[in-house]
Amino acid sequence: MAADTCYHCALPIPDGCDFAVDIDGTAHPVCCPGCKAVAELICDSGFSSYYALREAPEPGVGRPPEDVGEWDVFNSDDMLQAFSASGGEIADVTVYVGGMYCSACSWLIESTVDKLPGMETCDINPVSHRLRLRWKPQKLGLGDALRALAELGYEPQPLTPDSGARPELDEQRTALKRLLVASLGMMQAMMFAVGLYAGDYQGIDPDMQHFLRLVSFFVTTPVVFYSARPFFSGALRGLRARQPGMDVPVSIAVGAAYVASVYATFTRGPAVWFDSVTMFVFFLTLGRFLEMRARHRSIDRSTALSSLLPNTATRLDGDERQVVPVSQLVAGDIVVVRAGDAIPADGIIVRGETTVDEALLTGEATPLQRGPGDTLTAGSVNLDGNVELHVERTGNATTLGTISRLSEQARFARPAFVQLADRIASYIVVALLVVAAAVAVYWYYADPDRAFVITLSVLVVTCPCALALATPAAFAAAGARLSQLHLLVTEGNAIEVLSKATRIIFDKTGTLTRGQPSITSVEVLDPDFDEMVCRRIAAALETASSHPIARAFAIDGEIPAASDPRVVVGQGVSGTVDNREWRIGHREFVTGAKQTDGHSHTRVYLGTQSGAVAVFTLEDELRHDAKETVDVLRGAGLDVALLSGDNARPVARTAEALDIEDFRANCSPEDKLASIKAAQDEGEIVIMVGDGINDAPVLAGADTSVALAHGATLAQTSADVIMPGESLYPVMTGIRVARKTMRIVRQNLAWAIVYNATALPLAAMGYVPPWAAAIGMSASSLIVVLNALRLSRYGKAPRP
Amino acid sequence: MNILYLLIPLALLLLGAAVWAFFWAASSGQFDDLDTPAMRIIMDDDTKPAGKKEE
Repeated sequence: MAADTCYHCALPIPDGCDFAVDIDGTAHPVCCPGCKAVAELICDSGFSSYYALREAPEPGVGRPPEDVGEWDVFNSDDMLQAFSASGGEIADVTVYVGGMYCSACSWLIESTVDKLPGMETCDINPVSHRLRLRWKPQKLGLGDALRALAELGYEPQPLTPDSGARPELDEQRTALKRLLVASLGMMQAMMFAVGLYAGDYQGIDPDMQHFLRLVSFFVTTPVVFYSARPFFSGALRGLRARQPGMDVPVSIAVGAAYVASVYATFTRGPAVWFDSVTMFVFFLTLGRFLEMRARHRSIDRSTALSSLLPNTATRLDGDERQVVPVSQLVAGDIVVVRAGDAIPADGIIVRGETTVDEALLTGEATPLQRGPGDTLTAGSVNLDGNVELHVERTGNATTLGTISRLSEQARFARPAFVQLADRIASYIVVALLVVAAAVAVYWYYADPDRAFVITLSVLVVTCPCALALATPAAFAAAGARLSQLHLLVTEGNAIEVLSKATRIIFDKTGTLTRGQPSITSVEVLDPDFDEMVCRRIAAALETASSHPIARAFAIDGEIPAASDPRVVVGQGVSGTVDNREWRIGHREFVTGAKQTDGHSHTRVYLGTQSGAVAVFTLEDELRHDAKETVDVLRGAGLDVALLSGDNARPVARTAEALDIEDFRANCSPEDKLASIKAAQDEGEIVIMVGDGINDAPVLAGADTSVALAHGATLAQTSADVIMPGESLYPVMTGIRVARKTMRIVRQNLAWAIVYNATALPLAAMGYVPPWAAAIGMSASSLIVVLNALRLSRYGKAPRP
Repeated sequence: MNILYLLIPLALLLLGAAVWAFFWAASSGQFDDLDTPAMRIIMDDDTKPAGKKEE
């Protein structure tokens, strides 16, 4: 890790900040006293291996909370009753732990919580981020337990017993069981198949052959009826909806081979295919299982919404302030929101002025000024003033809740062309079955004795195993490879769409740019000062402000101390540096002249009583690899476009810097969705890359979507592909791997079709004995799988 | 080869027992976390907390 980032949270260390922790004799720099405290707590408790074992930290994750005092609210008996699943001696509470991102986190949490007094058991699941605590409530309050988690730097959030349901865990358990039955069944069936094949060569006692087939039948039956059940029910659902998917040919292949084998077993027919059935089911189940795991890892829908909201709110009951959990707020309550806190519910300001950061909701990077009568939306962050808010809507009724519902709906309205490939495969299967039936009829009249053997050879030789495996094997390998390349695929269709995409649309704030403004130019108006002096003074003044723009002013080197700094809400900061009174902020605040250019937040003035001394121009900086990525994408034949909710001028500048000709500013989510629809109507296949919550419906409406994982959790839930980390380049890697995948799928399909096309006539004419047909079929499947595995080495590793 | 008539059913019984054991383990939540146990082996649980005595 670079030395200029915090050892604990990986955020850049502000200049002039000198904190360090001593770990095993080495001093590591950290960014703030909070991180120092957390890091020391971790190491003093003997958990220093956390740092060695954790995966690459995501910047900002695991930050120490500003204030851990609010947890006392949860110590009351009422609270315990509301959250505990069981009454009496042992409290049983499930806690959603925000901010954990790897196994080392879960180990750290478990080891810490285990040492709390009265703790009986604690189980943590890093996939669902849920911690289940069981303890003796008379020894430890719920609030104390939560505080212990908060002190480690996580964001605990107790769940009420009914919201703590975990459908994805049940899904994973069932999938594991299905996978195990399929794999054990496959191994057993293969073993007996070896005996049967050997018997075909060396001769076998008919009774022993019958016995081995019966045993194979016993081990295959649970595989077909238990492990393969999702495929059958999926096929039924598809047929009922008149949209037969991949499940239909799979079901026909599995069902037909199984029924034919059972028939052959009990009539002592010429051959059985239990081994093929089990192998087929196993590979398909494995593919589905891996896909499901990737999906679970990235989605936590039930808590995505509430994780943006604070845990508690300060309610005004008459003159009395009472801290209550957010879930107890109702419309009509008056709540106090302090500077730095998230807004707990939609409402109207009744007293106070502030600026709020709505970047997560609207993509608007510039904080907005709000006063009495203005509406605040839940989930946005109150930056610098204390306000009293009249609550209008809570929970799912808020704007945040509506956006999340919108994105859920858009998920179901997907373009239908992705189903086409599946349908072609199912036509082929139906065609093969028709051919097999025709062959049976012909030989029944030509040579009844050989009719059954030949028909079975045809069925085996043309068993669509290779055909049906061609796509899933390649997709499973691609999914595994992509996650190595730092791309998580949550939607099976995404790979196909990525490879065919013709247009890629980027969001600006937080996607092409870092979502964090920085100084791009300094204009010095007073010749008595030089740029460096101005910057130092600005840095000194801005250390007093918690405004996100203030961070842009941090510089290397020494900063003079500002005495008596005052933050004027929505205006700027004033203070004394070197015995002179300085002001920094709006033009009006500094010079008294009216702001005329309308860029209150991109131009920051610095001055004394006698007038402005310097003007800083701030811009949201491009990601380090944005230009390169856009160029490479264009080189790969994609139309690159930019849609942003931001103002015209910054959007135009970004577009110019990246040579993007097709850009639009001031887009609402509806506008973005409409322009995606328009492109789709022209036959374009659209990839949307975004990160903010306002993108969620847009992401879901595009043919496929990519989200940067450090963005709002909600955007991840509607994205098909997730890029953890700070760089954009994985988009290109993903498209490249997707194209390679589709090439391999085409090779596989071509091979399977050529093989079937040559083998079919031979088998239909009766030249292929069943054992040769079985070997041919297995070999063709194996070739398809091995070809798919070539993907696991394809593509460059992501850049650092 | 007649011994196979005994051995194979015995093997199937063992298989059934293994499947039952796995189902029980999965249902009781032992496979809910597939990531952490793999790392647990390389974590030093015996590092003594600084300044505190082990209970």
